[in-house]
Amino acid sequence: MRMRGARGRAGCGHGQGAGGHADELLVLVAGGDQRAFEELYGLVSGPVYGLVRRVVRDPAQSEEVAQEVLLELWRSAARFDPGRGSALSWILTLAHRRAVDRVRSARAAGEREQREALRAGEPAFDQVAEEVEAGLEREWVRRCLNRLTALQRQSVTLAYYDGYTYREVAERLSLPLGTVKTRMRDGLTRLRQCLGGAA
Amino acid sequence: MSILGKLLRGEDPHSLAAPYALDALEPAERRRFEKHLAGCDRCAAEVRDLAEDAVRLAYSAAAPAPAALRDRVLAAVRATPQEPARSGNRAAAQEQAPARERARRLPPHVWGTQPPPGRARTRGRPLFAPFATATAAAALVVASLFAVQAHRTEDRLTAEQARAREIAHVLAAPDARAASSEDGRGRSIGVIASASERVAVVTLSGYGTPPGGRVHQLWLMRPRVQPRSLGLLAGDTPLVAKGLDTSSTSLAVTVEPDGGSATPSGQPIVQLTLKSVGFGE
Repeated sequence: MRMRGARGRAGCGHGQGAGGHADELLVLVAGGDQRAFEELYGLVSGPVYGLVRRVVRDPAQSEEVAQEVLLELWRSAARFDPGRGSALSWILTLAHRRAVDRVRSARAAGEREQREALRAGEPAFDQVAEEVEAGLEREWVRRCLNRLTALQRQSVTLAYYDGYTYREVAERLSLPLGTVKTRMRDGLTRLRQCLGGAA
Repeated sequence: MSILGKLLRGEDPHSLAAPYALDALEPAERRRFEKHLAGCDRCAAEVRDLAEDAVRLAYSAAAPAPAALRDRVLAAVRATPQEPARSGNRAAAQEQAPARERARRLPPHVWGTQPPPGRARTRGRPLFAPFATATAAAALVVASLFAVQAHRTEDRLTAEQARAREIAHVLAAPDARAASSEDGRGRSIGVIASASERVAVVTLSGYGTPPGGRVHQLWLMRPRVQPRSLGLLAGDTPLVAKGLDTSSTSLAVTVEPDGGSATPSGQPIVQLTLKSVGFGE
């Protein structure tokens, strides 16, 4: 479901998913509508912050990255084109890339060992999720991740949730590069089949 | 490395679609793949699908954002100009877009994470959304920050990210306030400062580069003390000054010989009081 152009906001939130609603709001935000931005903030700040936090881990840094991303939504909303994908996808892609940039520059800056030490004591992905209100989507994704082979799951989550490049993933899993690339693609494809493709 | 791995290494760039959708490429590889994507419809479609799958992973990580984040973001939004929209009618604007630009359009995974083609040239004069006078300086600083980012090269990326982080930190201070001053010729100085954090972000706009290899040097003026150098200003690039004495009364910019001076050698070309941003008590 994709909204083209700016409709009135009166009917928003009734009978449509957050995804379609975000599309519509982002178009309004591109026109300088600050109230639409506030509404959009309500829809996407949780997913943006949660994703950044998942990748960056450190709460203060996560908040900083999330702030940069949310401000960038306001600033760059005009770049969003509803004809080329969903707003949610655009927003979360942006958030993920910023989070990964941060985590990699932190690693490059020599905080690596410190982070590894921190991470060693952290629970696995499915337990971290329990920190926050359990959503249906989270439950589905968790279940579907568990249906992947171990290598598919590790390849996908080490890259996406931990911000490792596929070369680093290959190193950590002692696998050839080509195998990791294939596991990533197969993992994502199986995830899609399991989730039913609907965003 | 196995023989299979070696065989796969020189291979067809299509295989990078999944690592790309997961943001698992190194910067150089990412750029090469994006180049490839621009001319490969099949890959673009595949990347788009894979990116939507990745977004499901993202969405499932949702967690409530801290309440304070909302206030800060909404405050920053009021002070931040937007990039100009193409036109009221997006579809029409796309029809009119130059063919070169259309050809370079990338899938959703790509656009928005890099400046659109040709945008950097017009970035210096953003269409400012209406905002209160008090926040004009913040807008000035934020606008020049993003202008700088638009021109960034890979080498400068880390330094700029570090600065962006510092600026975000200043903006995030609960007592962050902004001030600016513009002369009759459209040249201005802007500051966002936090007295509690003793930090300020200073931007000079429209002054260009002094002739003869000389430089703009920023000074902190304090009562009964020699001016303290805060560093050299490079064009419109924001300067982050830390450890500021809260009794400081104003900022001043002078033109100095290459490398700067220990004390100001001439009259300031511009000065800005810090009283309205909580200093000088």
